[in-house]
Amino acid sequence: MDAFSMGLIAAMGALATVAGASEDIESDIGSQSNPNSQVQLAAQVGNPHRIYNKAISGEPPANALWAATAAIVAYTLITAFQMSALLALVAGASVAALFNGVLSMSAYFGRNSSQKRFNQWVYLDIVRYTTPSIMAHAWITSFCIATISYIMVYMLPTPHPFPMAIIALIWGLAVGAIGSSVGDIHYGGEREFQNRQFGCGLNTMLSGQIVRKAEAGLRNSIDNAWFCTKFGGPATGMGFGLTVFLDNWRTTVFDPVTQAPFAIAMGLFFIIVMVIYNNYIEKSTRKKYGPYPEYKGDIAA
Amino acid sequence: MNFDINTIVYILEIIVGGLLVGIGVHFVPVGGAPAAMAQAAGIGTGTVQLAAGSGLTGLLAAGLMMSVTDNLWLILASGAVGAGIMMGSTMLTGSWIYAYAVGAPFASAKVNYDPITGFSQPPYVAPGTVGQGIPTVCFTSGLIGGMMGGLGGAMIYYPLYLINGNAALSAMFAIGIFLVNAVIASWNIQGTIEGFHDPKFKKWPFAFKACAIASILLALASVMITGGA
Repeated sequence: MDAFSMGLIAAMGALATVAGASEDIESDIGSQSNPNSQVQLAAQVGNPHRIYNKAISGEPPANALWAATAAIVAYTLITAFQMSALLALVAGASVAALFNGVLSMSAYFGRNSSQKRFNQWVYLDIVRYTTPSIMAHAWITSFCIATISYIMVYMLPTPHPFPMAIIALIWGLAVGAIGSSVGDIHYGGEREFQNRQFGCGLNTMLSGQIVRKAEAGLRNSIDNAWFCTKFGGPATGMGFGLTVFLDNWRTTVFDPVTQAPFAIAMGLFFIIVMVIYNNYIEKSTRKKYGPYPEYKGDIAA
Repeated sequence: MNFDINTIVYILEIIVGGLLVGIGVHFVPVGGAPAAMAQAAGIGTGTVQLAAGSGLTGLLAAGLMMSVTDNLWLILASGAVGAGIMMGSTMLTGSWIYAYAVGAPFASAKVNYDPITGFSQPPYVAPGTVGQGIPTVCFTSGLIGGMMGGLGGAMIYYPLYLINGNAALSAMFAIGIFLVNAVIASWNIQGTIEGFHDPKFKKWPFAFKACAIASILLALASVMITGGA
C-alpha cells in the first residue's frame, strides 16, 4: 500500500457516494422503480397527477445501460483516438445522458397517453423542464461510475482484469440495486404519502392516494427531488460509497498477492459490524416508538 | 476442444455455482414494491435486481483475486465477502430510512417471535401492513443469501476463466448464468420473500430442480466456447 493508491481509493469512495446520491435523485425526479407503482395506480383510482412517469425498466438494468454506454464511449475515444481520459469520460457520460433523455421522454409519453381513459394528461411543460434535470443527474451518475471503472482498470496498483465496460455494467447494476432498495423508500414510504398518519407503513387501503398538492400549487417531480435530496439521496450515496470503498480498501491495504486471507477476514469483520449496527437500530426504534396502540393480540410487546 | 475429466469437473463447478445462486436468492429478504412503501418487511426492490447487484459485486472481487492467485478457496471467499459487503451496506442504509424517515419499528408479520433475537413481532406490525423494515432475522438471512450469490458467481467464473483464459468473456458468461438462475428462483418465490423463516422458503426444492436443469444446459454451452472475443 502506498499513499497514491490510498488516495485513489478515497477518490473512488467519494465518486461512488456522489454517484449513489445522483442515481437516487434521478430516479425520484423521473419516478422510476418500485414507488412508481403508486404513481401509475393513482390515475387509475381517479387521481390524475403531474408527476413524471418513466419506469420502463427497473433501476439496475437502466443504470447498467447508462454506465456501460459511458464507459464504452470513453474507452473507444481513449484507445482509438488517443483522447485524454477526462475529456473522454465527459464525452461518454454525455452520450449516456442523451440515451437517458430519449428513454425518459418516450416512457413519459407512452405511459401517460396509455392512461387517457383515466383522464390522465400528457403535460408538455413537465416534459420540457423535468427531462433536462433527469438527464443531468444521469450524466453525473454515469460520469462517476465510468471514472471509477477507469481508475480500477488503469490506475490502481493491482489492475482489475475485467474491461472497463463490464466493470461499469456491474457497478451500474449495483448502484441501481442500492438506489432502488434505499432511496426509494424515502420517496415511496414518506414523500408520496405525506397525507397519512406518520410512523407506520402505508395502509393497503390508501394505495394510489398519492399527495398531489404542493406547498404552493400542484406537486410535480421537482418538488419530490427537493424533498428526497434531504435524506434518501445521501443515504443511497452512503450505501454505494461504503460498498465501493470498503470492498476496494481491504484489497489495497492488504496486498491480495501475499495477504489475501487478511483482506477476506477484514471483509468479514465489516459484515459483522453491520449486523451489530442494524441490531442496534432495531432495538432503539422498538424502544423509542413502542408497539402500535391498535394492536389487539395476546403476544406481549 | 477435447472432452476430458477436467471438462467434467468444470461442468460440475458451473452447476454447483448456478445452484448456489438459485438457493441464495431464496434467502434474500425482498419485499418488492410494497416494501418500498413500508407495507411489507424486507428490502424494497426486486429479487433478481438485488441478487444481481450483490452477486456481481462479489464477481468483481473474485475476478480481482483470480488475476493474482489460482487458489480456488481464496477466490470463492473473496467473492462471498465482496457480495456480503454490498448486501450489508444496502440493508444497513435501508434501515436508516425505515428508522429515521418513515419512523417505523422493524417487524416481520411471518413469525410471532424473531428466531434470532427472540423479539415479539405482531405488536410492532403497523395496521393494514404485513410488517416493515429489516429485523435481525431478515438481515442475517440477506447476508447469507448475498454471500451464497457471490460464492456462486465466483464458482461459475473460476472454471470459465480456466477454460478460455479471457476475463471479459468469462465475466459476461458468469453474469448470464447468474441472471438465469436468479430469475428462475424469483419465479419460485413469486417475487417476494422475507428470508429463511418465511413459509415460502420451504418451496426451494422446486427451484433446485429447475436451476439444476438450466445450469446443466448453460454449463454444456459455455464450456464449449474456448476462445474468441
